[in-house]
Amino acid sequence: MKNQISRRGSLLRMGGAIAGLLTISVARTAKAAVQKVFVSANAPKGYDPTKHKWLMCIDDNKCIGCGLCAEACKKENGVPEGPYFRTWIERYIIPKPKPGSGETRGEAIVDSPNGGIPKGGVSAFPEPTLPKDQIEHAFFVPKLCNLCENPPCVQVCPVGATFKAPDGAVLIDPKYCIGCAFCVQACPYGARFLNPVSKTAEKCTLCYHRITRNLKPACVEICPAEARVFGDLNNLKADDPIQKFYEKNRVQVLKPHLGTEPRVLYAALDKEVR
Amino acid sequence: MLPFKLPPQILRLVLVAMAIVGSYFAARSFLVPPSFGEYGWYRGDALGEIASRTPVFAGKQACDECHSEILHKLAADKHKTLSCEGCHGVSREHSNNPDVLPVKATGSHCIRCHEANLARPAWLKQIVVKDHYGPKCTECHVPHQPSKTP
Repeated sequence: MKNQISRRGSLLRMGGAIAGLLTISVARTAKAAVQKVFVSANAPKGYDPTKHKWLMCIDDNKCIGCGLCAEACKKENGVPEGPYFRTWIERYIIPKPKPGSGETRGEAIVDSPNGGIPKGGVSAFPEPTLPKDQIEHAFFVPKLCNLCENPPCVQVCPVGATFKAPDGAVLIDPKYCIGCAFCVQACPYGARFLNPVSKTAEKCTLCYHRITRNLKPACVEICPAEARVFGDLNNLKADDPIQKFYEKNRVQVLKPHLGTEPRVLYAALDKEVR
Repeated sequence: MLPFKLPPQILRLVLVAMAIVGSYFAARSFLVPPSFGEYGWYRGDALGEIASRTPVFAGKQACDECHSEILHKLAADKHKTLSCEGCHGVSREHSNNPDVLPVKATGSHCIRCHEANLARPAWLKQIVVKDHYGPKCTECHVPHQPSKTP
């Protein structure tokens, strides 16, 4: 008889469990509030993501392939050593067409050794294997997260760790990311990778810690040719560089047929660039 | 008084249903972070956490506070688009404390951009390093005023 469960007893236990859970949730809310105070001690104050809309513009005529942007990005964001880049430079070599092929150009050769960052003072880009007289033209293209309006990476994340902030930046919540790398596969621009240290997905955050403090992203700050222009569409200054950029240039985006609607605009882009 | 008496089995079902729904809400408040849904279908606090990283590069504006003279010189010549920290290295500590000296810029910074490369645009002045005079760029060129000679 002692082991028999009475209705009153089990109801009490159930009520107790719910009360316990509620107490824990209250405690958690309090803890989160304390944490928020702790975090906001470092986070910039007075930044409202709903009041900004960031835009990155790249003038490809100006890129000189020095690799400073890729190097600065690594330093600024503590990206691990090795083949991990949040922004990088690609070199496109377009060979001349084979005589009588009826084409305007040969098949493009694309490379990006070490993301375009020189090693030990030696240029990252070696002399092309093709002889000079067989090359139609060659150029550099800086790449980064394309800040899609419809980001495929956000759609595929099974845990909702990656999201598009109201200011247009596509970010990753490292506390939620489980490192499944679905987003790495889904990104049509190859802008994501798995951090070998934290084992979570990582990507360009537009230097979120800088732009929220009224600083330019590191790559824009360091670019010696002003190939990268960055600005806020919702708070355009008098003759804002981004406004000048899209008024003066004929712009296009990468892979427009995918409907991702990137917020990274390119001027003077070749059709081979994907 | 109720016009009819609720049968005990229905009352039990109602109680069990209420317990299930109640425990769902209790579990939900336990599992969902407080800032979830602040901006969208994600944790709003994540934005602040990502933004709480300390910037590394000080930026040209920080240099302008003390070295405006050099920046004026720079702005008047072709190197006006260059950022100080591109050649002088990360200088945040130097900008906070002038006693910490920035990295000494060397000739390899010149070659980084001006070494001849097929993919470089034609508007950029380029040299073939092995055919170009001199072990030291600054013997003939002033980095802050490239059109001048020392």
